[in-house]
Amino acid sequence: MENYQLRIAHLYGDLMNTYGDYGNVIAIKYYAKQIQVETDYHLISLGDSFKADDYDFVLFGGGQDYEESVTAKDLPSKSDEIKKYIENNGSLVAVCGGFQLLGTTMEFANGKIINGIGAMSHHTVNLNSSELFDNMRGKRLIGNIQIKNNESGETYHGFENHQGRTFLGKGEKALGTVVSGNGNNGDDKTEGVIYKQVYGTYFHGPILTRNGNLAKRILKNALLKRYPDIDWQAKLDGIPTESF
Amino acid sequence: MTIRSKFALFAGSSSYILLHKILHRGGTSLPGKIAYRIDPTFLEEFRDQIETVIVSGTNGKTLATALCARVLKKTNRVVVTNNSGSNMIQGIVAALLSQKDKIKKSIRHGTIPIAVLEVDEANVKEVAKILQPTHFVLTNIFRDQMDRYGEIYTTYEKITDGIKTAPKAKVVANGDSPIFARKPYKNQAVYFGFTHKKSAGDLRAPNNTDGVLAPTNDQVLHYHYLTYANLGDYFTKDGSFKRPQLKYSVNKINSLTPSKSEFEIAGNKFTLPLGGLYNIYNALAAYSLGREFQISAEDIFNALNEDSRIFGRQEQLTIGSHLVTIVLIKNPVGANSVIDMMMTDPEEFSLVTLLNANYADGIDTSWIFDAEFEKLHQTALKKIIVGGQRYKDFSVRLKMAGFKNQIVEQDFAKLIDRIKGLPTKNVYVAATYTSMLMFREELAKAGLAKESF
Ligand SMILES: [Zn+2]
Repeated sequence: MENYQLRIAHLYGDLMNTYGDYGNVIAIKYYAKQIQVETDYHLISLGDSFKADDYDFVLFGGGQDYEESVTAKDLPSKSDEIKKYIENNGSLVAVCGGFQLLGTTMEFANGKIINGIGAMSHHTVNLNSSELFDNMRGKRLIGNIQIKNNESGETYHGFENHQGRTFLGKGEKALGTVVSGNGNNGDDKTEGVIYKQVYGTYFHGPILTRNGNLAKRILKNALLKRYPDIDWQAKLDGIPTESF
Repeated sequence: MTIRSKFALFAGSSSYILLHKILHRGGTSLPGKIAYRIDPTFLEEFRDQIETVIVSGTNGKTLATALCARVLKKTNRVVVTNNSGSNMIQGIVAALLSQKDKIKKSIRHGTIPIAVLEVDEANVKEVAKILQPTHFVLTNIFRDQMDRYGEIYTTYEKITDGIKTAPKAKVVANGDSPIFARKPYKNQAVYFGFTHKKSAGDLRAPNNTDGVLAPTNDQVLHYHYLTYANLGDYFTKDGSFKRPQLKYSVNKINSLTPSKSEFEIAGNKFTLPLGGLYNIYNALAAYSLGREFQISAEDIFNALNEDSRIFGRQEQLTIGSHLVTIVLIKNPVGANSVIDMMMTDPEEFSLVTLLNANYADGIDTSWIFDAEFEKLHQTALKKIIVGGQRYKDFSVRLKMAGFKNQIVEQDFAKLIDRIKGLPTKNVYVAATYTSMLMFREELAKAGLAKESF
């Protein structure tokens, strides 16, 4: 039997690692193992090089403000390869701070604005921004959240915890429409983003542990890119889906 | 029904304690709250009546406080303290009020009593400003549930803001924790830590660890050795930031089991009737404070070796033929510590996890994915029961860690029978706050334990 392998990069996994984001790697490994796919985990941190062609799945999690600002300073050294990875349809899950930093700009609670890598068109303002409706201003968005993916009709469950408010840009569609909770900004009922094979979200929980159907879809796409002749869908259909 | 009338209804009954703790996250005491509202200067009355030691940090401060109080009794002065349920300002007022006679009596006999107070991180400033402590004991700052105060640096600022309000106080801090050395203190500071290992070279904290950036150069910290989480002998390559000089240290660990720790401080052998490396840090904190109070190492040894199970965070009871150890878990570092403790059990054991997500537990359960349950494959773990209101979360977490064979028991009332049916003598119950209360209620019904603790 042929040996299949999934190469995982965890961007800044030692800095952007709050609220169980690492659980997304655990979930991907969990499903991969059941369909006899080996996984190979790499931490890519400050000063390390990231090469687009070396990975099949990338996780970019959220962090505290300090860690996020240090990460933002290091990112330009990797941004060309990250953009190349995304444009080549590489699978990527970006949570919270990671989601923000793939966009154009982001603003901390204290008003400091930093640049993302601009791989995608969304931007993030802070909780006091004039871009927000009055009733949404001044509070952190914390709590259980449920969204519905508009294409598949699937419902995703998670827990959101963020001050930043993200507005999607050109060419981006939401991961889902908010059923309950706040979502990207509390105003427009969008939650997260889908762009090519990038899935951005404010969901912790973490999203791939609680929403097995999404985990399987992302895993399938990552594997298809590397091994296009295999019927990954059938293999994944044959194993149970964790969803709660 | 308002919360107030609920209190009225339940006051006096044992449920009062349960409800009270659930609503207030083990927090405030109602009598104290009223007193504080009536007279906000109430605490000020105590300023000249007591010498205050403030113990703060995110994990383990309850035990550290208990051990500090025990050690300071060796001064032969009267020692008053608060319990973990009253570490916010109202609770502290209540605790002092309830011991007012004791304090007065001691003063009449010519000695100022010592108040060893566990203080919630966000309350340090207010309490310190009023009581003007002589010592701050700082245990650690780990990420707690983020629905509380947010980032570890915010917590750190809250504590240091408090320290600034008492410039004459001495800081007795965990030197292995990089966060406590981020900025120099204007106060006098001494540090404690571990020197039990030779340098293992150049190590990094595990990937999924918080607080690993050096404030001087924004680079990820290196370590000569680690004890747990981000604690250890840290340094930066450019030499701009490193562990401060330790005044007190654990220089040898002789044996660790889930119920006993044997170690040495400055050549003195200590035995603690508790498992877990993190508990040794608490004992070391108490030792350091004791030495700062000029208590001899021998007296401290005696104080720490007096056996007792007053430590609510880890207690044992017998259910049928099983020896059950109950531990509280609330965040990744705490859960990892419990996992490390189970790893010191040479015998076969079973694990019961109870997860709730009420306010007092932390409403975000995602932290369970940050704890390394995968490590339990290296132990003789035989059987798992998952329960609590959020049993599904934990069931999936453990499934993803490779533990397929689980007993899922949603009903708290059936847990005791489930435990009786377990195949091992040793059983660990790792529970979040309100799930522990609910489990204890069942134990009480079965006549196995008192309802309150
Ligand atoms: Zn977040």
